[in-house]
Amino acid sequence: MKTHAMTLDELARLCHDGEWRRSLHQAAPSGFAELDATLPGGGWPMGAIAELMPETTGIGELSLLVPALSELAHAGRYIAWIAPPYLPYAPALIQWKLPLKYLLIVQTRSLQESLWAAEQALRCPALGAVLSWPCEIADKNVRRLQLAAEAGGSLGILYRPAEAAREHSPAALRLRLRATANGLVVDIHKCRGGRTGVRLQLPLIA
Amino acid sequence: MNTGLWLCIRLPQLAREAVANHQGSAGERTAPDRWASAGEHSVGGELGEKGLLLQREALERLAAWAYQWSSLISYAPCAPLLWLELGASSTLFEGHEALLARIQAELVQLGYSHVCAFAPSPAAAALLTHASAQRHVFSKAQLRERLDPLALQLLDLPAPTLAALQASGLRRIGQLLELPAAAIARRFGPEMQLYLQRLCAEANDPRPAWRPPETYHARCEFGSEVRTSTALLFPLQRLLLEFQGYLRARDCSVQRFTLEFEHYRQPVSRVTIGLSAAGRDAAQFLTLVRERLHSLLLPAPVNALRLQALEFTSPAIVQTDLFGSDAQPLQQLQRLLDRLRARLGESSIQALQLQADYRPERSWRLIAPEASTASSPKQHVLSTPTPPRPCWLLLEPVRIEAPAQLLRGPERIESGWWDGNDVRRDYYLARSGQGSQLWVFHDRCGGEWFLQGLWA
Repeated sequence: MKTHAMTLDELARLCHDGEWRRSLHQAAPSGFAELDATLPGGGWPMGAIAELMPETTGIGELSLLVPALSELAHAGRYIAWIAPPYLPYAPALIQWKLPLKYLLIVQTRSLQESLWAAEQALRCPALGAVLSWPCEIADKNVRRLQLAAEAGGSLGILYRPAEAAREHSPAALRLRLRATANGLVVDIHKCRGGRTGVRLQLPLIA
Repeated sequence: MNTGLWLCIRLPQLAREAVANHQGSAGERTAPDRWASAGEHSVGGELGEKGLLLQREALERLAAWAYQWSSLISYAPCAPLLWLELGASSTLFEGHEALLARIQAELVQLGYSHVCAFAPSPAAAALLTHASAQRHVFSKAQLRERLDPLALQLLDLPAPTLAALQASGLRRIGQLLELPAAAIARRFGPEMQLYLQRLCAEANDPRPAWRPPETYHARCEFGSEVRTSTALLFPLQRLLLEFQGYLRARDCSVQRFTLEFEHYRQPVSRVTIGLSAAGRDAAQFLTLVRERLHSLLLPAPVNALRLQALEFTSPAIVQTDLFGSDAQPLQQLQRLLDRLRARLGESSIQALQLQADYRPERSWRLIAPEASTASSPKQHVLSTPTPPRPCWLLLEPVRIEAPAQLLRGPERIESGWWDGNDVRRDYYLARSGQGSQLWVFHDRCGGEWFLQGLWA
């Protein structure tokens, strides 16, 4: 990624599409070469929100993320799971080399509490990633989380239903996920500062 | 001889302002303001019994607050006056003016009207708070010069004495001080002579030194009932700022304090605020209290508020945090945990730990995140490595139809015969019609199929 603007036009474009702010934070390598080659900066956007929209649960939507989470945790940054739909299974996380002491599971009683907790967690620089599963979320709330992620410098992951792809969202990165017999198909639905409409097949099978 | 320097703070509206919600929002003021008149200075400057009590309570809290700047604090028994002896400590705080600016800024935050004056004697400092200007006198030589032109009525003398002095044609303090001391003693008694000597810093004026209590108890009463938690924030902020002063004064921190909300004819509501690491920052306390109030349901309107802290830690203990090393990000993390807990509940944040058990539902447990680093994970690892496990576990296995497509398995798990929860299961990786990868087992006792996890 370029960090210096060569001309005023270029500067204006950088400022306009958020590249300027984004470049403050590094990307976190995903651990999947094809994906890293496609994402700007070579990985998940730190200091930003990424939406993952799996067609159904249990197709590798977490495994896609775990290598990056593991890297972040080994660097001493905490991972918050805000109201996960199931229990993160400790023996599996250990197999994925994710140190358990860096995981925080936050229980909430409502969607509103989850969004509040996600925002607080994203603002905290001690965290590397914040995962949440809002059943529905308004644009303005995604924007709030986006600002919180920028402030804290961490990666905010929103798991959203596949139908959410039809709606607009201010998230920096939006991926649709679909299972096939050969692995996980990733459609890059939106990618700030990168190419959209790219389809990748990742060898992710249990 | 008094050679020190005294700061006197006069709080002319104290009794009224001490009624915690006198600045309450318009909605809170519809109820009759019980103390609105009780607290005002009446023509004679007399407060009612209730007003005196409120004033005394407030002075007691302010003494604790002021102790952070001076170890010699005193307040008047029946007047809204607070003294700080600053002779020694002002050098610590970059001079008197800088210190005064800090003190006044906090008084503004606390919401108290105030007039401050410096003088080499406590009596003169109190007197100068009534002067219209030039209230700062730092040396004895300047003091006499400053007192001379002031009106006689400013002296803290009984009304008949003042009347008698005026009848004899005296108008200014200087005129009185020029009279021979022996003559004054003869005419008005030795107390008068002593008062004047103390005023001019010519005689010692020992004040009862206020001592900080071992435990902290503060109470503030509301003029009218408070019905919303937002209206509690102003009095809470004041209470916490005063508390912070006390903590700074004693050079200690707290990890836990209690707020009590008094109701009319109902038991008090009690809220305990806990911090993962001891602190003494009023702003941090207020954040936690605010989150806590968010989820608090008060059974009735609030008449008064109490703050209590019984245990304190020395600052040396503050430095060592629960997580061990690397203080800075961990302090940020602790603050986050405190905020989340205050709003979502004490047990809302958990960490995971392995347990050495082959039964999937017993191979993990949730613990407090602070406990997560304390234990070594090695002792919880099973002796034989397990095959790959799914990321998601269902808290309770769910009964399902026999899966159509089994991709891998079986893996037999037989365990728990010793504790009465024995399982005999064959585990498989299965695929659902939508492509989800399921972790299912066949219960060899009952013959049924269960879903227990997802390969997300």
